[in-house]
Amino acid sequence: MPLRLESGYTSLNKKNEELCGDKVEIRRNGAYTTLVLADGLGSGVKANILSTLTSKILCTMVSENISIYDCVETILQSLPVCKVRGVAYSTFTVIHISEEGKGYLLEFDNPAAIYRRNGVCGDFDREEMLVCGKKVYKTELSLAEGDMIVTMSDGVIHAGIGMTMNFGWQRKDVVEYLNRAIKPEMSARCVAWLLAAACNDLYLDSPGDDTTVLAVKVRKALKVDLMIGPPVDRSQDDFYISRFLSGEGKKVVCGGTSSQIVARHLGKTVRASIDFPDKDVPPIGYIDGIDLTTEGVLTMRKLLEYSEKYLSVSDLSPKYYTKKDGASLLAELLFEEASDITFYVGQSMNKAHEGLPIDITMKLKLVETLSKNLLKMGKNVEVFYD
Amino acid sequence: MVKVTVCIGSSCHIKGAREVVETFQERIAKNDLSRKVELGGTFCVGRCNEDGVSVTVDGEYYAVKPENAAAFFDDIIAGLAG
Repeated sequence: MPLRLESGYTSLNKKNEELCGDKVEIRRNGAYTTLVLADGLGSGVKANILSTLTSKILCTMVSENISIYDCVETILQSLPVCKVRGVAYSTFTVIHISEEGKGYLLEFDNPAAIYRRNGVCGDFDREEMLVCGKKVYKTELSLAEGDMIVTMSDGVIHAGIGMTMNFGWQRKDVVEYLNRAIKPEMSARCVAWLLAAACNDLYLDSPGDDTTVLAVKVRKALKVDLMIGPPVDRSQDDFYISRFLSGEGKKVVCGGTSSQIVARHLGKTVRASIDFPDKDVPPIGYIDGIDLTTEGVLTMRKLLEYSEKYLSVSDLSPKYYTKKDGASLLAELLFEEASDITFYVGQSMNKAHEGLPIDITMKLKLVETLSKNLLKMGKNVEVFYD
Repeated sequence: MVKVTVCIGSSCHIKGAREVVETFQERIAKNDLSRKVELGGTFCVGRCNEDGVSVTVDGEYYAVKPENAAAFFDDIIAGLAG
């Protein structure tokens, strides 16, 4: 199985601020992904401008393989100088890494990134270098499958200062917390949420500083094939279903009619549950040989709601799903587990659904928006319309 | 054993399939019929245009509205199970 690079972040705004002074910028260029976390001096608009400029410039230049000296020099000459403090300043962490986990890490004045290897969090072996008179730490990266980098703004290690703790928690406390709280199956997105949510708790839900966590993980690819809706040309059902069933991906069937034609093709029957773990989502079904069978449009609609929350960088609801309704099971599979998703969307119209809020236009719209959201999550998405 | 199947497809879900299932479950528990009535679900049975949730009782088709589910259970299902 090939490897995939996965990333995700959560940002908390300092209380009463509309803008975050931390900024994350991510750019994919060929096999490499460049991620930058910048924390601008001060807070609010001023900090936001500094960190936006810094992250954007660094991310663009580094991803085009321009030397760090030129990058830092460009930033120094571009940043506006703060009238109050007389300096132009933003911290940064840069991760430039391939899908196989090779690349480098550059750190300037952010808390040192945490390196999680073999399930244990620790430090990188950093090398100090002087760039335009500034101390920048460089690490050559060689991540293995399952390894993770957790990087953060200082809002993380200051969480709870003078509120729940005298001095906030220290980096070693963060490491200890992550060692306890991270489960091996958690995605990068989930870990970023996990740590940011813990900080928000220490801040008693009103952060004293902008707080950002960015996590990057090297993981195995996992492919999911999802069929929703019967194809227009009925006589070709078997062709379309064989294509859907070929390949090594996990198989998901959404919709009553789709499940029936898939079951018929397999020579099996569809069984439907009558359990409602969520009152808004119709029960799931079972077909031998298919990993997950759910109802169609209503489940999709709920899944789309979940995807918006999963993507939101400020939403603090959990990023893993333990409920057993169709939408939650799909969310766990597609958002947390999958890396590559292929949709097989049948465009046949269900006469019985005409005029109801579950007709074909609704379905197509839902799939379109959902696949866009999955792309934003960093998944590889492919859609076939049959 | 009376076999009762409730459609839980999209359209029946909107018409209140969950309420119908819950009403039947309550009735079964209350009247101690769990060994006489087998309650199950099915995906769309293709009769979305009927005025009510699609229910089959020993193969016989009925459209049941949530508000009539209790009476339906007492009249039809309990009768057969009794």
